[in-house]
Amino acid sequence: MKKVFTHALFLSVTFFGTWYLLGLVDYRSIFNIEELTKENEQKLGRLILDAVAKSNKTITQDSVVSVISGIKKRICEANGIPDSTITVHIVSVDDVNAFALPGRHLVIYSGLINYCASADELAGVIAHEIAHMQYDHVMKKMIKEIGLAMVITLSGGDSGSEIVRQTVKLLSSTAFEREQESEADASGVHYLAKADIDPQASADFLFRLSHEKENISLQFELLNTHPNSNDRAAEIIKLRKQEIFTSRQICDSISWKKFQAAVLQRVSEKDVF
Amino acid sequence: MTEHPSFSYTPNEYEAEKASNSYLMSVIAVMIGLPLPVINLIATAIFFIANKRATHFVRWHCMQALLSQGFTFPMNVTGVYWTLSIVFGANIISNNYIAYMTTIVVFNIAEFIATVYAAVQTRKGNHVEWWLFGPLTHLLIKA
Repeated sequence: MKKVFTHALFLSVTFFGTWYLLGLVDYRSIFNIEELTKENEQKLGRLILDAVAKSNKTITQDSVVSVISGIKKRICEANGIPDSTITVHIVSVDDVNAFALPGRHLVIYSGLINYCASADELAGVIAHEIAHMQYDHVMKKMIKEIGLAMVITLSGGDSGSEIVRQTVKLLSSTAFEREQESEADASGVHYLAKADIDPQASADFLFRLSHEKENISLQFELLNTHPNSNDRAAEIIKLRKQEIFTSRQICDSISWKKFQAAVLQRVSEKDVF
Repeated sequence: MTEHPSFSYTPNEYEAEKASNSYLMSVIAVMIGLPLPVINLIATAIFFIANKRATHFVRWHCMQALLSQGFTFPMNVTGVYWTLSIVFGANIISNNYIAYMTTIVVFNIAEFIATVYAAVQTRKGNHVEWWLFGPLTHLLIKA
């Protein structure tokens, strides 16, 4: 009996020891997995973005894009995130929605810009989406929903337009896992605080979004993709108390209203492609 | 990894063939069972049950073959589950995953070689005791 235990122990140690020692090797670098993943992600991002641009107007005017990019830059720089790796795309759609795409593309609907009561509220949504990017939630969600094989096919560009369309729908209108949303919320609050933007605006936005849903005819995609807005707002308030920051408003309400008017004007124009 | 202690009696030709078949069973099952590791275990378990009333030599080797499959089964199931979670789930190909898969491939190759060796030796009527599984089989199969 003692012999059996000794042998079993030795075999277990050999197995786990081999696993541990082999695990010390950085295979991802050796096989260039990181690079291949990034490359595929970029391809995938461009493919999906093309599909979004084909079916919707994209606002590319500097006066509009620079404001949103400025908010993104402020959050990124304060948190040591390379700002240039994230590209913002403003799409003329009335839905109140924003979502991250593979390849670190951030799509913001004009409906969301017009719904936000302040630039700080929009910053909250942007910080949340940046957090999803930082945690690689987008690719994880895609792989989980459509499978690794399909993701590889998509990034190879051999898939039909219907699959791409469905992928756009998946990324823009379905929720992440609850833990991923909580993770993005928590990091979002932290990013905002580091950038001296009061996370209270994010909580206010979520409360308002939740309460106004039934009174307004707008399509609140954000509510469908991010359930329990009230709970999330309460959690944001709780997290806000743990942060130390000096609130510096992004812009005053007059400037924000002017910006919203500029966006609305672009939406109504026909030459916004 | 293997030892050649003498058995309590010298098996006859029929017993040697049967005992050898218990190992061949798992070797053949490996071909079908690679993606589904449970096949190997089921094959050797069925063979053991079918030879429950066989002679001591046959039962002993059937049990040793079964135990060896029982050892690799959880390892391989984990590997298959982990792979599926990458292909269909949210997991990624991590360094830990590659290290695990390499480890189980090494252990499976070692087990495969030992199985073929045991099949050849038992066919010749030689008694082969594997490291760990030999002493364990002695505890489970009494004369």
